[in-house]
Amino acid sequence: MSNADMKFLIVDDFSTMRRIVRGLLKEIGYNNAEEAEDGTVALNMLKSAKYDFVVSDINMPNMNGFELLAAVKSDDTLKHIPVLMVTAEARKEDIVRAAKDGAAGYIVKPFTKATLEEKVQKIMQKLSATV
Amino acid sequence: MKMDNINTLAPAAGASPEVFQQLGQITRQLHDTLAQLGVMPRLQEAANGLPDARSRLTYIAKKTGDAANRVLNSVDKAKAEHQSISDQTRAMATAIVADPVKAVASGAVMNFVTEVEACTGRIDAHLTDIMMAQDFHDLTGQVVAKVVSLASDLEDSLVKLLVQAAPVDQASKLMAHIESAPELNGPVVDPEGRTDVVANQGEVDDLLASLGF
Repeated sequence: MSNADMKFLIVDDFSTMRRIVRGLLKEIGYNNAEEAEDGTVALNMLKSAKYDFVVSDINMPNMNGFELLAAVKSDDTLKHIPVLMVTAEARKEDIVRAAKDGAAGYIVKPFTKATLEEKVQKIMQKLSATV
Repeated sequence: MKMDNINTLAPAAGASPEVFQQLGQITRQLHDTLAQLGVMPRLQEAANGLPDARSRLTYIAKKTGDAANRVLNSVDKAKAEHQSISDQTRAMATAIVADPVKAVASGAVMNFVTEVEACTGRIDAHLTDIMMAQDFHDLTGQVVAKVVSLASDLEDSLVKLLVQAAPVDQASKLMAHIESAPELNGPVVDPEGRTDVVANQGEVDDLLASLGF
């Protein structure tokens, strides 16, 4: 699958951050992205359409990023989708928890374009290696 | 002033010792009552949060200030690049009108094309930087929510104090405040000296690598 075909879901309660992540993904070659403002909306979208990659915040209303991650990883039809956490939560216990719960990567805000690109490419490489 | 210190005070010259004595008793009574009601510890707790609120507000001021400077700096640089393209385009137009063959043969046209391409690349990088600078909205938004929560706690303590101090008929009219502490902490405004948080992406990567992820 080419970069242009990959479909991303960006989950963040701040529209500014969703736009930033979307803009950066476009710059690094991923043009197909949709947005959700919290975990509940994201989960509904994931269940109703096909997505290849989730970039999610943690601290969100209704359903936070940890809850979304758990829901995705416990669903047989969704658990193959990599979830990259992009969050301001910088506590070590949160980072370890995300890794143990199955997150594909963890980025702390504020971040750079280079960091996002590196993490996405790394996850993509792992994905292609497993296919 | 602490209650322990109150007995060290002497009545001012001319003041009635009886009035001073009575005021002291009332003050002590009020202090003891508040302590028994459990209001003082809560007020104290809320007051202790004020330095944290100051620190968070300072963080917001810094983040917004940094973002504004970053945007203005990038705009200045992008405008300079844009001006350079305009100047070179005018110069190239003049050269082509004067002697098109020479303009091409001398390599001036090719140099111009190369330079325009490089300029647009740099402008694009400045535009990306302006986009990235907007991340302050997310980070400060979360910190503002924390400060609002802290103000709410203080309000809660004061409302409880009001309820307990008010006459019974008035107290029954006051609404009870339900507090809900958020589980997540949001941005770390002052990571210095803390071992429970990471300060940058490098530390995140090191931590995950140490755990085999």
